[in-house]
Amino acid sequence: MRLEAQQPGAQEEAALEVTVLVSVGRHPLTGRARRADHDARGVELALTLDKARISLLHAGALDEESENAMRGYLGMGFPALTLVEQPHGADVIPALADRLNDARPQLVIAGERAEQGEGSGLLPYLLAERLGWPLVSGLADVEKIENGVATLLQALPRGQRRRLQVRLPAIITVDAAASSARQSAFGPSRRGEIEAEPAAVTWDEAQPEWSVAPARKRPKRLKIVKAASARDRFKAAAAKAEGGSGQVLTDVTPEQGAEAIFKLLKDEGVLR
Amino acid sequence: MLDTLLPILIFSALALAVIGAVRRIRLWRQGRPARVDLLRGLAAMPRRYLVDLHHVVARDKVMSNTHVATAGGFVAAAVLMILVHGLGLAQGVLGWALLAASAAMFVGSLFVARRRRKPPARLSKGPWMRLPKSLMAFSLSVFLITLPTVGILPTGFGHWLLALALAAVLVWGLGEMFFGMTWGGPMKHAFAGALHLAFHRRPERFGEGNRSTGLKALSLDDPKAPLGVETPSDFTWNQLLGFDACVQCGRCEAMCPAFAAGQPLNPKKLIQDMVVGMAGGSDASYAGSPYPDKPIGEHRGHPHGPIVAREGTALVDAETLWSCTTCRACVEECPMMIEHVDAIVDMRRFLTLERGDTPGKGAEVIDNLIATDNPGGFDPGSRMHWAADLNLPLMRDVGEAEVLLWLGDGVFDMRNQRTLRALVKVLRGAGVDFAVLGNEERDSGDVARRLGDEATFQSLAKRNIATLSQYRFQRIVTCDPHSFHVLKNEYGELDGHYQVSHHSTYIAELYEAGRLHFAPWKGGTVTYHDPCYLGRYNGEYEAPRNVLRALGIEVKEMARSGYRSRCCGGGGGAPITDIPGKQRIPDMRMNDVEETGAELVAVGCPQCTAMLEGVVDATAEVRDIAELVAEALAERPAASGSVRVQQPAAEEVTP
Repeated sequence: MRLEAQQPGAQEEAALEVTVLVSVGRHPLTGRARRADHDARGVELALTLDKARISLLHAGALDEESENAMRGYLGMGFPALTLVEQPHGADVIPALADRLNDARPQLVIAGERAEQGEGSGLLPYLLAERLGWPLVSGLADVEKIENGVATLLQALPRGQRRRLQVRLPAIITVDAAASSARQSAFGPSRRGEIEAEPAAVTWDEAQPEWSVAPARKRPKRLKIVKAASARDRFKAAAAKAEGGSGQVLTDVTPEQGAEAIFKLLKDEGVLR
Repeated sequence: MLDTLLPILIFSALALAVIGAVRRIRLWRQGRPARVDLLRGLAAMPRRYLVDLHHVVARDKVMSNTHVATAGGFVAAAVLMILVHGLGLAQGVLGWALLAASAAMFVGSLFVARRRRKPPARLSKGPWMRLPKSLMAFSLSVFLITLPTVGILPTGFGHWLLALALAAVLVWGLGEMFFGMTWGGPMKHAFAGALHLAFHRRPERFGEGNRSTGLKALSLDDPKAPLGVETPSDFTWNQLLGFDACVQCGRCEAMCPAFAAGQPLNPKKLIQDMVVGMAGGSDASYAGSPYPDKPIGEHRGHPHGPIVAREGTALVDAETLWSCTTCRACVEECPMMIEHVDAIVDMRRFLTLERGDTPGKGAEVIDNLIATDNPGGFDPGSRMHWAADLNLPLMRDVGEAEVLLWLGDGVFDMRNQRTLRALVKVLRGAGVDFAVLGNEERDSGDVARRLGDEATFQSLAKRNIATLSQYRFQRIVTCDPHSFHVLKNEYGELDGHYQVSHHSTYIAELYEAGRLHFAPWKGGTVTYHDPCYLGRYNGEYEAPRNVLRALGIEVKEMARSGYRSRCCGGGGGAPITDIPGKQRIPDMRMNDVEETGAELVAVGCPQCTAMLEGVVDATAEVRDIAELVAEALAERPAASGSVRVQQPAAEEVTP
């Protein structure tokens, strides 16, 4: 699969430099390493951009599992992928930030959260903070990029969309609302090269103190519907999630804020 | 005058034919190299032609006799003509023999002409319509010019104008028969066909009772080896030669379930498109039925150009390749022994492995196979949930058993679970020492391979072979003909050699051995649907019928049964790629069932069960043979109590 961006003609025009951050995914049933779903959707989004020069970037260790996953991304039609070498237990954010600072892409695309490890979804935010770039989360699509300004379509709950504009360089993240990733083909995945680059290592000091357990599905609040008729039940099922009793606090002291949160947790029965 | 003219005509026609042959051979040689034993092939060719090919041709008696007369007459007439008129060896019996040969050929050509008067839709028209006239021109003119030679007519009979007219007709005949044979006329089939038989890519399929149906493995160890076929020149040279041998008789078209369903596939057109691609040009001169709903003249190709375009059109559209159910009806029917399914899978391999362009749910299924070892994406640890109450012996615990029961991916399908429960009941009823792999079993790789994903197939196959190598068993029994075919015929190339039986074969053997006893059949009329992968792929037509007979069932055969059975539409990943047509293949099959008036259709394949049971308003019930056997299972006579029964027979639970 040859990308338009890799043809010599396309490079002469002001090509849009796009870096997609890709991680090692984990299949929810079997735990086998694979391309992570959200990250692959990010790669797919990059592939739909006009005149983009796309580079794939992964920070981590090179072993059999991570190679399988990286080959999954290469199979989407890339000749190479850059691996910033980081041992297990390292904090990859400084290394990634250094690398992005050097490469200076205009757009960085990342998945919403990783499928293993901490999976906190904080990495793009911490990167944005370090680089001083804006971050837009939960994108469904990039509509156009003109004069260094990107017009984005952000996915909101219940299929709603919000159009946003952001000045580049910026970091955007995608989740399941973005279009699904194309098939990864065996030929290009086998041919693709993993270009390993050494990088300074910053150890994650906090991680050894953590205990790691498999994630469980979060409990969902049951919707208690007191409906007399089928029509009411249908309305309740189709209704928008309502904030209802929520309140927005502005210009309050930290103590007042903490007080409000504490009261809410008591009301909800989380704290007793 | 003819005496001087004839040798000139004959030898110039021969010279032109030789030049044409060299050109044609160079077209074939554009293909990739293939290991072929040339001498042995040439030596085996007459037998392959006269015996193996004749068996297929003889399914149409009239056409078979017509061909014997025409082709036999022509070959004899051509050789004798060279001797008599070319070299002037007219003495004695040779001239009379030439008269007889050309007369036989003339009679044959009359029958060819008769068939061409109202040709069935499957036959190609165009240049083929002139063939009977050309045959007559050749045979008649040879006959007439030989009359003076043997002395029936005086030499110098008639006017010189008559001789000239005769010579003109002969030129037409020679042009079609000698020149056209190598330069691309209808007679090309004789030249290419003979060499195709000699250099066939599956020499092992010839000979009485032999068959060769397993797909050939793709080399994945060599990173330089191409993955599948992108351009016509990516086929091996003997595949290209095979395409060139096509006579456009359209028997494949008449048998193709996808064509009948209005999906954009016609095996004959596909082979002709490969010929167009090999020579370069457009399909505009094709004179047969098109792919349904695809006008002729819009596709063109080149030996080194892509067969399937990334965008727009090239030689063939991708949906044509994905319409195939790999049922092998075309290959079974082809009198030229062309391997359509191999070619289609070769082209699919490129689309999947290089382009990542498997349509429909293909990509999802392949991802599931990679991540979970089954196409549905189910937890591989839940493979045995269906049998939680059956207490099946696991190979991991027993290590050794007479029979390894291969369950297949039907374990995740509630309908097939009923079949499996019935089969377990039968095996226990017969006191068979069997065990299952349980969670160690993986998908056999059938679907991945037919979707073109050779890498995933080989990965699954190698891991299955490694698992199987840990245990000792005499044979594998399975109720899934797809697993059966892959284990039996396709694992061999990866060093997995097993004795594999379909459950119908095994049940028939158990019955023969007196280990099963059946209560008499009380149900209604029954017909039997031959699964492609059991019948055409493995030649097992009798065992299922024997089992039904043992149950006391008289099978009301469908018009299309045995080697001509119509596919259920479930093979080759067709339900996954789901190319739209005008009607559904299983609907057509259930219509076949309805025509017999049967109340029940017996099947022997989970795919067929699923496809046929999915038909709305069907007139017949769909039951697996194992279910029928389990229901009819009678108590064994007390005398045979010595056979070990491991577990009390399980009651079948039907939701």
